[in-house]
Amino acid sequence: MTAQPYAVTVPRGYRVGSWEVREPLASGSFGSVYGARRTGDGAPRRAALKFLPTGTHTPRQLNHLRELAEREVELLSRLRAPRLIRMYEALTVDDPEHPELDGATVLVLEEARTSLDALLDSGVPAQAPELLAEVCEGLAQLHDAGWVHGDLKPANVLVMADGSVRLGDFSMAAELEGTHAYAPAFSTPDYTPPELVWPEVGERGRQIRASADIWAFGVLAHVVLTGSYPLPGGTAAVRRDATVRYALGEEELRLSPQLPDGWRALVRDCLAATHQERSAHQARALLGRIRRLTGAARTRRPLLPSRRKPSRRAGWAALSSAAVFAAAATVYALWPEPSVTYGYHRCPAGEVCFFSDVNGNGEMCHWAGDDDDWLRGRTRCAWSGDRPVKSVFNNNQERTKEISVAYWRGPGFVPTGVEPERDSERAGCTSVNQQGNLKGDYKLRSHSWIPRCDAEDAHPGPTVSESNL
Amino acid sequence: MHSLDSIIVVPPHCPGPGHQLRLRPGEKLAFGRAVEGLAIDHEGVSRHAGEIAAQGAFWILSNLSRTQTYVVENPEGAGEHIKVGPGRLDAPVPFEFARVVLPAAGELLSFEVWAPRHDHLPRHSDALDGTETLPAFSLDPAKRYFAVLAALCEPRLRGAPHAPVPTVEQVVERLAPGWPAASRATVQWNIDYLAVKLRLKPPAEQAGPGPRLNGKKEALASLALRFDLVREDDLAVLPCAVRQEAGVRQEAGR
Repeated sequence: MTAQPYAVTVPRGYRVGSWEVREPLASGSFGSVYGARRTGDGAPRRAALKFLPTGTHTPRQLNHLRELAEREVELLSRLRAPRLIRMYEALTVDDPEHPELDGATVLVLEEARTSLDALLDSGVPAQAPELLAEVCEGLAQLHDAGWVHGDLKPANVLVMADGSVRLGDFSMAAELEGTHAYAPAFSTPDYTPPELVWPEVGERGRQIRASADIWAFGVLAHVVLTGSYPLPGGTAAVRRDATVRYALGEEELRLSPQLPDGWRALVRDCLAATHQERSAHQARALLGRIRRLTGAARTRRPLLPSRRKPSRRAGWAALSSAAVFAAAATVYALWPEPSVTYGYHRCPAGEVCFFSDVNGNGEMCHWAGDDDDWLRGRTRCAWSGDRPVKSVFNNNQERTKEISVAYWRGPGFVPTGVEPERDSERAGCTSVNQQGNLKGDYKLRSHSWIPRCDAEDAHPGPTVSESNL
Repeated sequence: MHSLDSIIVVPPHCPGPGHQLRLRPGEKLAFGRAVEGLAIDHEGVSRHAGEIAAQGAFWILSNLSRTQTYVVENPEGAGEHIKVGPGRLDAPVPFEFARVVLPAAGELLSFEVWAPRHDHLPRHSDALDGTETLPAFSLDPAKRYFAVLAALCEPRLRGAPHAPVPTVEQVVERLAPGWPAASRATVQWNIDYLAVKLRLKPPAEQAGPGPRLNGKKEALASLALRFDLVREDDLAVLPCAVRQEAGVRQEAGR
């Protein structure tokens, strides 16, 4: 068992903001995570509290911990995507009577069931290819928004109650400035690409690129699918030397024979020796390849029955590379072509955003509250007068009630005369943290926040995220 | 230094860093009177005297001489050394700094080999399994360079976050009680070595606007403080408490 230098001990029943600490969940590299429940009204009822020992009175006055905490808070407040763990809020403990806690940063996060690391303790998971597809999707969402994770490994992949996964622990994450980003000088040896084994470090940290995450994904895929590291050796130092020899061309890459067919080429591409070779394989393209490997049918997890008629417009995409999300008749195309770019990250936290083009591109109108007429009133959305909404992102994680947003073709929350055959009068509804393209004609005039898209929904609360399956 | 280099060989009478030889893991360097590699121009040295090979973070020495024993000294080890007998191949050398001494017709010739990538157990962690997030640097608190780094960081660690970094002379003075041989040259040598060891990137010529650290010392101190390579409790490696502070305490006690 590893010593936990940065563990924070928090007593059961301890109150932080509106949260009451329950059981300890895990101790990570730089802090401790506890389960917690909300003391007042509102949703979600439970969350995971990550305590980072950043206090001014903590015995260890650690500068870098503050920097790491700031990085994670910054990324999670600015970037929301379905495959990234969600942060509801960030708090600072103000409690002079507990000097070891006073000043600690607390990240209130979506509660996960376990981590991929813990899942791997019981062998190769049965649903390994699907898990990897979701991890890769998380990377694609992160990279599309211009960030590098910097520390991708099984311990930082969280498994949710529904079995889906999300990326977590963004303390090493960095925003790309052009082709590279500056990340703290920390790394996990077995997931570090050759060029970062002994990185140069400047005043702003070490330079990393998105291709570092691709290498880490290759290692992770090999570990998940075979239970072993791709580079040989009994200790991390020997595996590091093997990595260096491989990068110098002195040793071949010998992947495990247990690696399923089809995955071999993909893992080999992720583990290309140089950044230049690896950068030809971007996360979004890898995701497309994984989808083809796993087969579209198996990747659709039918949590909700589809009540939607087949759409002619969705066409081939809906059949082979698109999954269908059907709650309240809103349809999202999910696996677009590899080369697309995304604009969802422009959407401010705590608001709903409607876009004039697919994938969060084009013009954007956004609201924190309701609007009964998009063409009049305080917030005007001029383009919606003659153009339909092509994509939507409900980025309202600040709200604790009325977390879904319903929208109508007419002003005043009513349909217009030409409402097509729909189960409900509204044009559609999007749950919290969902984003996607709207297939069909969504020329909208009003929207309103409601508790949930489907009152009979068996999957309540804000953690429902079928749109990204 | 290329990011994959792990061993640095400093030839005898080396005029500067540009003449140092760098090895990557697996690379070999021959030395002797008539070799491509490290030529040692002395009649008393064998034509093919020996070979150095980088192995991961350490290196191995082969003695190709039939008659002479080579000695590898640890210059910071108070006489610590190993002997590599004639014909011995691939002897592992455990020192971060080493001086290879070759007897040559009554004279002793030497060159240095550095292994700046040595690994050390991270503080506050016993992680060895490769899955823990670890600092990118590995420092040995028992080495002189660590004391030099601590001295550079001391004013800021003692609560003056914007204090200027001590000058080389001040560092010499600070370390002299515990290190009588400390001099401008030895301190500067350790500063240069730290820049190699911490893989300090020379600041880009066209860096953006804003204040820039202009010296190696400043860059080392800010890197060390940013990543907590030296912390307040590490100041114990310095010879004694700061005199000024002691004086203040005495006055307060009266």
